Amino acid sequence: MVSRKRTDTAINTLRMIPTKWAIVLVALLIGYVLLQPRLNQWLGWNLPSVASLVGDEKPTTKKEPKPTKEVVSKEKASEKVTGNVTENTSDKKTSDKKSEIAQASTTKTANRTNDPVPKDSAPKDSRPKDAAEDKIHGILKDLGRNRFESPEGLVYGPGSEEGHRLKHIERHLEDQPSRPGPHGVFDGDMKAFLVAIDRAFAMANKGAKGSSKKEDDGAVVYEATFEKPIGFLGGTDGKRRKNPALKKMRVVVRGKSVITAFPVQ
Amino acid sequence: MTSPLIYVESCPVCGDGLCRIRICVTNQRLTGLVLCDECETMWTDPSMQERIAPSSSETEPKCPTCNQSLWGDQSHWASIGEVCLLGWFDRVRIAKV
Ligand SMILES: [Zn+2]
Ligand SMILES: [Zn+2]
Repeated sequence: MVSRKRTDTAINTLRMIPTKWAIVLVALLIGYVLLQPRLNQWLGWNLPSVASLVGDEKPTTKKEPKPTKEVVSKEKASEKVTGNVTENTSDKKTSDKKSEIAQASTTKTANRTNDPVPKDSAPKDSRPKDAAEDKIHGILKDLGRNRFESPEGLVYGPGSEEGHRLKHIERHLEDQPSRPGPHGVFDGDMKAFLVAIDRAFAMANKGAKGSSKKEDDGAVVYEATFEKPIGFLGGTDGKRRKNPALKKMRVVVRGKSVITAFPVQ
Repeated sequence: MTSPLIYVESCPVCGDGLCRIRICVTNQRLTGLVLCDECETMWTDPSMQERIAPSSSETEPKCPTCNQSLWGDQSHWASIGEVCLLGWFDRVRIAKV
């Protein structure tokens, strides 16, 4: 009722002014009606609508930006989805696979129950600290002097061409298709690789089926067969044979120090 | 630009490494030997008949001449020229990687 009264008053007011000015005013009014919502949307203004001016509608309030916390959590969620997509659809056996796995989340890991060992994010640095457990790659205990011990007592320390054994075994997280001969590639990230090495070592020590332990000039070569594939054959041999899956892990140890480890046929 | 990878054969010990020619230069003296780039087993020459036994306490391969680490700054993988100098050129394979 009140708004109708206001509308009537506006019409009466228009009747009192000359026709040409009334036309101009009506044109301006129509222009405002059309532009008001767009100007609010484009420029973030808060111009009241004509309806609100005549009392039919409350003025719209400017949308506040979403709290930062929510934005961050949404970003995280999208990262997880990306990780899942890349992991689930990826059948690539090249270097970019590693970086994809590195981005993958722990959630994704839990989905892959067929894996022989759990997987989680693989940092690029060979010795990142797991803040929650204060362990390197989540499982290695820091012994000091750049030496790290696995739960089974294997030690990863300085050495090799790469300067550290962890860096050295990292070579087996990706294929080197032009490297002559075989090149065993582990299908997973660094943590999963370290867990699998430990398991292979323990299985060979127990004399599990499909395992062996051979001494060779001060070094001991441990081998163990997993129930499911843990990687594939790379290098020129692997390329020629279409990268067959590998179930066996070989670990070369001197004393307690890991010299190298990789999946083998 | 790819560098040639000079090797004798795949490693008979670990099965995954390449037995490559490693050079150590100390006091202008050049030592050449065969070293597996994976398990670090050493041989005196490309015939791979004679192994260089590592000290049991060592986790790094040492040069039999100067006893320094073969991963030290004084050591490197052999170039084709160095392989020729050692007289081993006809006993190695060269791969482009
Ligand atoms: Zn070897
Ligand atoms: Zn030397």
